[in-house]
Amino acid sequence: MTGKDIVKITLNLVVVYLIGGLILAVVYARTSPIMFKNAIIEKEAALKKLMPDADKIEKMGDWYIHEKHSEYFVAKKGDNVIGYIVQSFGKGYSSYIDTLIAVDNDFKVQRINILGHAETPGLGDEIEADNFINQFKGKDMEHLKVLKTDTTEYIQAISGATISSRAVAEDAVKNGVDFLIKAIKERGAKHGADKQS
Amino acid sequence: MAQTSRVSYLDLIKNGIFKENTIFKLALSLCPSIAVTNNLRNGVLMGIAVLFVQVMVNTTISSMRNFIHPRIRLPIFMLIISGWVTITDMTMAAFAREAYKQMGLYIQLIVAFASILARAEMFASKNKIAPSMFDGIGMGLGFLFALTIISFFRELLGKGSLWGFPIINAKPLLIMILPAGGFFAVGILMGFFNWMEKRFSKKSANISH
Repeated sequence: MTGKDIVKITLNLVVVYLIGGLILAVVYARTSPIMFKNAIIEKEAALKKLMPDADKIEKMGDWYIHEKHSEYFVAKKGDNVIGYIVQSFGKGYSSYIDTLIAVDNDFKVQRINILGHAETPGLGDEIEADNFINQFKGKDMEHLKVLKTDTTEYIQAISGATISSRAVAEDAVKNGVDFLIKAIKERGAKHGADKQS
Repeated sequence: MAQTSRVSYLDLIKNGIFKENTIFKLALSLCPSIAVTNNLRNGVLMGIAVLFVQVMVNTTISSMRNFIHPRIRLPIFMLIISGWVTITDMTMAAFAREAYKQMGLYIQLIVAFASILARAEMFASKNKIAPSMFDGIGMGLGFLFALTIISFFRELLGKGSLWGFPIINAKPLLIMILPAGGFFAVGILMGFFNWMEKRFSKKSANISH
């Protein structure tokens, strides 16, 4: 390889990569604001869908699971609290599964919604399917357990995607509800203390 | 294959679908052909995404073929492929949210497809823009065709449904939607495809003689 070749190759690479980088930067600048806007609209719609009875959903605070930032909300109808919504993550087969969980005042799961994940297409992504998600309705902490056999009392694993099923039920949902119970109780205790003093 | 001026565009497309079908003949990109084909919808969506990227990559590389230094062609091909994949990914995420939700997972996988790099190296870097584009269309359609057939049988046999709609009220062969079933489906269909082609080409040979 001569010196001329080295210069040629370097120039060639630099030019192509610069142009490629520029094009990607332009596309990103154009698309990312729309993407973020979509994500916010989607999250609001998802919250509404989880608590269709609520006419107000307010953010209560932030929390962290798997070092990821999550939020939790209180759902109100008029002045009455009718339940809570918590965002949570579960460590799945190939990604962290972003989940929203709605619970009633007794901390029984009402509905869950999978916001995002990168599980195996065709196997793990069945966690989004209705017949998996609908299993969560009415489950409390003790019944958030994944079984590989036919069950309605517990959560039945998706065939071929036990890890993803576990990640949703035993990691995201269970830890989310667990956190919510503690957080609400703590808050209640604080409020009680405030009132007494 | 270097003398493409004589080959018609239709032949290029046919070549991609039958003679050099990515999966059944070249046995490239077998990973996605197993990973995403356990239902028809995923198979078809993946096929469409690959078709688009293959055409764009072939066209871009062909238009730049005199500029690319042969020693560094591979890193440049990779940049072009991943560039197009990322552009597709970002554009869809912004403007086609619903479709992106279903296809987003697969689009990023396309970067690593051997079939796309192989066509860039074998065809687009040696041919003019128009034939390269049609080669891309042919290869993409061939991939779409293969994925459609594989996922059709896997979903029908494994889940008893097609495109998510139940067809038969049973799961005749659950193994078909699991990874192992993917190997069975690809293997059997590949064998069937080659057997058909052998018979067909024998017949046409007899006629011409």
